[in-house]
Amino acid sequence: MHFLPHYPAQLWPPAASAMAGEIDTIFAVWCVVLFMLVAPVFVFMAYCAVKYRAGRPADREHREARNIRIEMTWMIVPFLITLVFFFWAGTIYLQENNPPPNAMEITALGRQWMWKFQHPGGQAEINDLHVPVGVPIRVNIESQDVVHSLYIPALRLQEEAVPGRTTELWFKADRTGAYNLYCSELCGADHALMAGTLYVMSASGYQNWLKQAGATQTLAAAGKQLFDSYGCSGCHTPNSTVRAPSLAGLYGQVVPLQDGTTVVATDAYIRDSILEPKKQVVAGFKPVMPSFAGTIPDEDMQKIVAYVESLGGSQQTP
Amino acid sequence: MSTTTVGIKLEEQFESEQQQRETAKLGMWTFLATELLLFSGMFISALVIRTLHPDSVTAVALHLKFWIGATNTAVLILSSFCMSVAIESSRLGLQRIMVRAMLLTAALGVLFMCLKGYEYYRDYVEHMTPFLHWRRYELVGDPASRLFTDLYFIITGLHAIHLTIGIGLMLVMSWLASRAGFLQKHQNRIEIVGLYWHFIDLIWMIVFPTLYLLNR
Amino acid sequence: MTPSDYVLRDLEVPPPVIDVPDDYLHADQSLWSWFVTTDHKRIGILYLVSITGFFILGSIAAGLVRLSLVVPDGEIFTNDVYNRLFTLHGVIMVWFFLVPSIPNTLGNFLLPLMIGAKDLAFPRLNLLSWYIFMGASLFTVFVMVWGGVDTGWTFYTPLSTQYSNGWVLAAVFGVIMVGFSSILTGLNFVVTTHKLRAPGMTWFRLPLFVWGNYATSLILVLATPVLTIAMILLFVERAFGLAIFDPDHGGDPVLFQHLFWFYSHPVVYVMVLPGMGVMSELVTAFAYKKIFGYKFIAFSSLGIAAIGFFVWGHHMFYNGESPYAGLTFSLMSFIVAVPSAIKVYNWAATIYKGEIRLDTPMLYAMGWIGLFVIGGVTGLMLASTALDGHVHDTYFVVAHFHYIMVGATVVAFLGGIHFWWPKITGRMYSEPWGRVSALLMFIGFNMTFLPQYVLGYLGMPRRYHVYPPAFQPLNVLSSAGAVVLAAAYIFPMVYLIYSLWYGERAGPNPWEAKGLEWTVPSPPPKHNFETIPTVDFEPYDYPNVIPEA
Repeated sequence: MHFLPHYPAQLWPPAASAMAGEIDTIFAVWCVVLFMLVAPVFVFMAYCAVKYRAGRPADREHREARNIRIEMTWMIVPFLITLVFFFWAGTIYLQENNPPPNAMEITALGRQWMWKFQHPGGQAEINDLHVPVGVPIRVNIESQDVVHSLYIPALRLQEEAVPGRTTELWFKADRTGAYNLYCSELCGADHALMAGTLYVMSASGYQNWLKQAGATQTLAAAGKQLFDSYGCSGCHTPNSTVRAPSLAGLYGQVVPLQDGTTVVATDAYIRDSILEPKKQVVAGFKPVMPSFAGTIPDEDMQKIVAYVESLGGSQQTP
Repeated sequence: MSTTTVGIKLEEQFESEQQQRETAKLGMWTFLATELLLFSGMFISALVIRTLHPDSVTAVALHLKFWIGATNTAVLILSSFCMSVAIESSRLGLQRIMVRAMLLTAALGVLFMCLKGYEYYRDYVEHMTPFLHWRRYELVGDPASRLFTDLYFIITGLHAIHLTIGIGLMLVMSWLASRAGFLQKHQNRIEIVGLYWHFIDLIWMIVFPTLYLLNR
Repeated sequence: MTPSDYVLRDLEVPPPVIDVPDDYLHADQSLWSWFVTTDHKRIGILYLVSITGFFILGSIAAGLVRLSLVVPDGEIFTNDVYNRLFTLHGVIMVWFFLVPSIPNTLGNFLLPLMIGAKDLAFPRLNLLSWYIFMGASLFTVFVMVWGGVDTGWTFYTPLSTQYSNGWVLAAVFGVIMVGFSSILTGLNFVVTTHKLRAPGMTWFRLPLFVWGNYATSLILVLATPVLTIAMILLFVERAFGLAIFDPDHGGDPVLFQHLFWFYSHPVVYVMVLPGMGVMSELVTAFAYKKIFGYKFIAFSSLGIAAIGFFVWGHHMFYNGESPYAGLTFSLMSFIVAVPSAIKVYNWAATIYKGEIRLDTPMLYAMGWIGLFVIGGVTGLMLASTALDGHVHDTYFVVAHFHYIMVGATVVAFLGGIHFWWPKITGRMYSEPWGRVSALLMFIGFNMTFLPQYVLGYLGMPRRYHVYPPAFQPLNVLSSAGAVVLAAAYIFPMVYLIYSLWYGERAGPNPWEAKGLEWTVPSPPPKHNFETIPTVDFEPYDYPNVIPEA
């Protein structure tokens, strides 16, 4: 447990787009206006509380019980001042709702409890999103189960993922780096773990990533075939007759073991479990799985592990 | 019986009979306002579903028993007329006519419920009950049609619950009102119950076109 | 009569004056008499006791939530337990504490006294409302503690209809039932205000607390049924598969959000309007001066209630809502702030040139203005569409609505309880302790919730039990503030209860305040007034008022 807080405390969030900077400006000006509207009331009340304290001699003549002119003034003037923010924020809101036609399209699918992003070339990733810098990107958001909300604080943006609808948000990141992304609409038990990272990359970096991701996915696709041919799918699929631990969403998770200890499902663990299944038995299951040591060559093993990884799970934040 | 025998017993928080009458009436109207809002939530839902899936809604509406709904509308209008007779008789102190008119009102209410029950039975026979998962659903190829079918059952069901309460009230009131001296003490209760009855009829006047007519 | 009777009669000494006052508390002392009472004052006490109980429960849940958030990795409670805790906190606080808080306790107690009536229009209905409230709330709390509900108080579909493994049906049933209690109370208040005013008590002679309660009651009557139907639709969908919102059949979960917020935004005004009513009474009594701009304040209550019905869409700027709908709701939300601003400025003007006494209720009142203004303006920030895109569903929202619901409602409730405590019980509480608690409340509250504004702007989503470690310092500060806040709640509970037996006896009008309730003895007699008073004076008729121009 982290009982010792992380210092120094963060006080302003990073901004990754020009629009985020504009929203920061609105917020900052709003704070100033808040101060302007609030401070006079506080000062005035404190002044009156001291000056007109009961029993104190003070000039209490010309007390008024109403004054329409004054009342209309403080009804209308603050309203007009605040209305500036309605228009200012509204302009940006309309921009947010009008993605440029040449925007690159990425699909985001929310489901309990992960985000799946699909790039135009078919590359998919779980929880993390890699995008190129300086390119307008339109994210079409869907949900497979409940209402989620894709929230990227560094872009000052969020949009709900509503089952049965496609919603969208668009942004143009202009600063490379890694930024948090979250689900901000309560979606069940692991709502807080439905989080990942937005990687804003240089154009070349993004191209490299796309290639690599494509390669991993080919690896995983090959792994799927091996998964069937070695008979793994006979037990490790939801509708099989043999009771075996489900592998969906396993990768990176903490697995409770028979002996009471736990282990994180890393590449090494998955490999070990295939080679020496009786060593680390998952709590609640019988040690019935045969060892595949000597049966599966190393290169096949790599593909199978890639396939298990592609079944999803939470990315352990380093 | 003369009109002087009609009146109400003053409760301790009131100063005058008129005040008590007006208070009771305003209380009932306020309650009816809440009822209107309750049903409005469903009417709005019906319109939203209709906007989202117009074709599916039409398909369902064609399965609704228009003539049963229309007959029921007439039955309720007639019952409201009977209720008006009962209220007018209560003001004139005509206790016997009043009680009979109220029993007739309740009987028409029961007739409505019987017709409604028959309509539900027809829906069952025609496999228009998608929420019974052991039974085939007639429009199974059109999943969106389920929404309107379900809403039809919820709206009419909730209306039927209100009507059942109304019939129960009517029977209890006619039993109480048939006793001697009732009109001297509690004449305004007839008016209050009457308001409720008229209002349920009014709700049906919105339910009928919303479900049966608009989508045909 | 026999002659001896005459003799006895003549000899009889007049009976000694026994000090058994004929007040409502002593009219019948048996416990049973409390459970069958139709006296609005006793029903107010019944509510006071029950909602205090729920407040304690809800606060414990909140305390556990804050405890969990001291560490960023969520190791104190599991995800399921954490979700159940904040749902418990939300449901209890909204429906079993905040909505009934001021109207059902102070409102019940004061409304007939303030308008010069013997009781509410429907006393038996009032008692029925309490029984429904108790039945529904105890049932729901039992369900939520025993089985738990993990959907949050918002019950969004399809999480609540298809995916939740909590006892959603039972909790929703309880919420529907407690709605009936709200409706009955609201109806009773509306009718009472219309029809039971004493002769001469015209609309513009009503105390502003009555105006606040009247506006509240209108909202309760008109908004609660929409929640009822939303919850009924949710209930039948989960229980019987009557799909209405189910996206698998083309249903729209956003429709549920609309129905839900059509109730749940106005209900915020249900929480704050009675608090504003209390504020008007406190400020004018402790400034010992006629309130500034009576009519503006009175109409602003109605204005808030009316406009408040047309702002619900600002909870949905970012769920695919049409941007034009979004802008309309945004504009309406800016407009609904105007009446609130009028009130605040008018209270400040009331203090000007007054005879200000800084007793406990006044300290609460001044703290109230501070907290409400911050809560209100940050509400406008949230109504600024594009800004909402960043802080929606973050701790910024959490901080905002706690400034309104705790900073405004709870502080006004405490201020009101202190102000009318001598009237309700006939006893004075300890003034020094009162002042310490009011101060502690202000400090503890800000310490708890100011950091949450920062957290929200940094981007910490709400309802997270695991969060990035960078957010920990502010979370620890907030949790520490919650401890101070807890003390500010516990102190009044102790010294107020203590005062019931050991407090100084209060006269009929210890604050020298104006208003019909201060003309009757403390505690008031069973039927409030010997004879119904005729009102021939203006409201807040404090001396030395320059006549209106």
